[in-house]
Amino acid sequence: MSSYRSSQRVLRTLLYVVICVLGFAFIFPFLWMIVSSFKLNRDVLAIPIQFFPPTWNWMSYVNVFTKFPDFNFPRFILNSFIVTAVAVVFCLFLSATAGYGFAKYKFKGNGLLFMIVLATIMISFEAIVVPLFILVRRLGLQNTYWGLIIPESLTAFGVFMMRQFFFSLPNDFIESARIDGANEYAIFVRIAIPMAQTALLALVIFHAQWVWNLLLWPLIVMSNPDMRVLPQGIALFKGGYNTPYPEQLAVSVVACIPLLLLYIFLSKYFVQGIAMTGLKG
Amino acid sequence: MRKASYSVTRLQNHGYLFILPTLVFFTVFLIYPMISAFRLSLLEWNVLTPAKAIGLKNFLVMSKDPRVVNSILRTLHFSAISVAAINVLAFVFALMFGSRMIRHKNFLQSLVFLPVILSIVAVGVVWEFMYQSTGLIPILVRGIFGASPAWLTTTSAAPYAIIITYVWKSVGYYMVIYIAGLMDVPTSFYEAARMDGAGFWGQLYYITIPNLRNTFALGVISCIIFTFGQFSIQYVITKGGPARSTEILSLLIFREAFELSKFGYSAAISVLFFLMLLVFSIFQLRLFRSGAVGD
Repeated sequence: MSSYRSSQRVLRTLLYVVICVLGFAFIFPFLWMIVSSFKLNRDVLAIPIQFFPPTWNWMSYVNVFTKFPDFNFPRFILNSFIVTAVAVVFCLFLSATAGYGFAKYKFKGNGLLFMIVLATIMISFEAIVVPLFILVRRLGLQNTYWGLIIPESLTAFGVFMMRQFFFSLPNDFIESARIDGANEYAIFVRIAIPMAQTALLALVIFHAQWVWNLLLWPLIVMSNPDMRVLPQGIALFKGGYNTPYPEQLAVSVVACIPLLLLYIFLSKYFVQGIAMTGLKG
Repeated sequence: MRKASYSVTRLQNHGYLFILPTLVFFTVFLIYPMISAFRLSLLEWNVLTPAKAIGLKNFLVMSKDPRVVNSILRTLHFSAISVAAINVLAFVFALMFGSRMIRHKNFLQSLVFLPVILSIVAVGVVWEFMYQSTGLIPILVRGIFGASPAWLTTTSAAPYAIIITYVWKSVGYYMVIYIAGLMDVPTSFYEAARMDGAGFWGQLYYITIPNLRNTFALGVISCIIFTFGQFSIQYVITKGGPARSTEILSLLIFREAFELSKFGYSAAISVLFFLMLLVFSIFQLRLFRSGAVGD
């Protein structure tokens, strides 16, 4: 029994060591990004390696926003915020309305239409990117926020998730509101939506994360330098001639902040959103 | 009686209005482009000159185009290793963090999850920086193993540099899926197994793995689909180089269309991309339909 205990203790210590090393390995590149962004360009790849900057240099954070006329980063950040906010609202609108319609009304063709919507999860973005570009250009949406937002906000998964949620919402609430004379849209807005808050919030985070990180589609649809979004700006900035590392890293740190804040305040919904994609073992 | 049923039908027909926006947008921006991709793949078209119907010629050319063949192999290589590494690691991490022996789990777990929240382009920037010849990784690897490959400038090492970055970025996401799956296994199953004398491995083999069947299926399938479409990390770190050793299909589709203006040819590669994923997409769709997914 005591040898069992001590072997338990060894195992436990070992597990701790492994997990701590692991945790360190996972956070280190992020810390390295931050400290390196405060180094001078000549120190950033110097040998021997020093973790903390020999001289703390804040200028890269100023330079990146002022010294590169081809890269209007304040504008890119603004674009990214606008695109993400609008895309999230748009995605919520489509997912909630369709999810509610499919879950709560027994109209003809409900099952078939839902299958068609769900089947679009088979269409990966890479498979349609060329015709999509032609379509968006023909509709005059190239270099517009909507041209970027619409194709990236159509998620069958969102519709699926909201439909599942509204299925679980008891019909009694809806029926009694109907008896009170409320019309169908008032019921949706005043009763169904407030009850769906948790599911909607998970979807907000899921989609905000997705849109904030977009790169391929913006590279294609936003050819006007003023319409670039932040990841696109950073990728092109990095590919530019002789771009200094501290500036690259500084703007990368900035790009990470919004989602980190979202995570710090709403981590519960982050995990919930992911867990919802893969459950019922 | 007639009137009642009429009004019930009318009431139910409100559903059409609720689903209308989704139907319109999905049809115009997803279904129509998909059909359009098939049509485009039969054309020779570079935007400037009028499109010419050439039947299946794009596909014939593609089968002999070393650049396309290279991209297919690179995509399969990248995806196979990444998906295997991500899912195995995610499952092992989930088991470790699920273990009752450990405290401060949440903090350590959120460290593994951190890369998931970081901007993917930022991740590309910092890893490219770390892979530089006097950067952190070569120095670390040399310190441990005595020698280090030139990570981003040799065709043998660059694909692995990309894979390592991608696995680091993604594993936390799948770990959360597996942790959620593990929590769904009733503890009474484990108690019963312990009564029957099953140790750690026995419980793993007889209880955990069979009960996580759907979670594994979903984790692996969604990881395959997601990994196939990966673009950002390659674009930021190597731009497909050196010597196209990291030029995966999504990068090739982008280049053929938007750098070389070969729209028809690029659409044909897109169709190939779609067909390569079709088996997995159908499987994923079936998982959703069977009710294995969702709460």
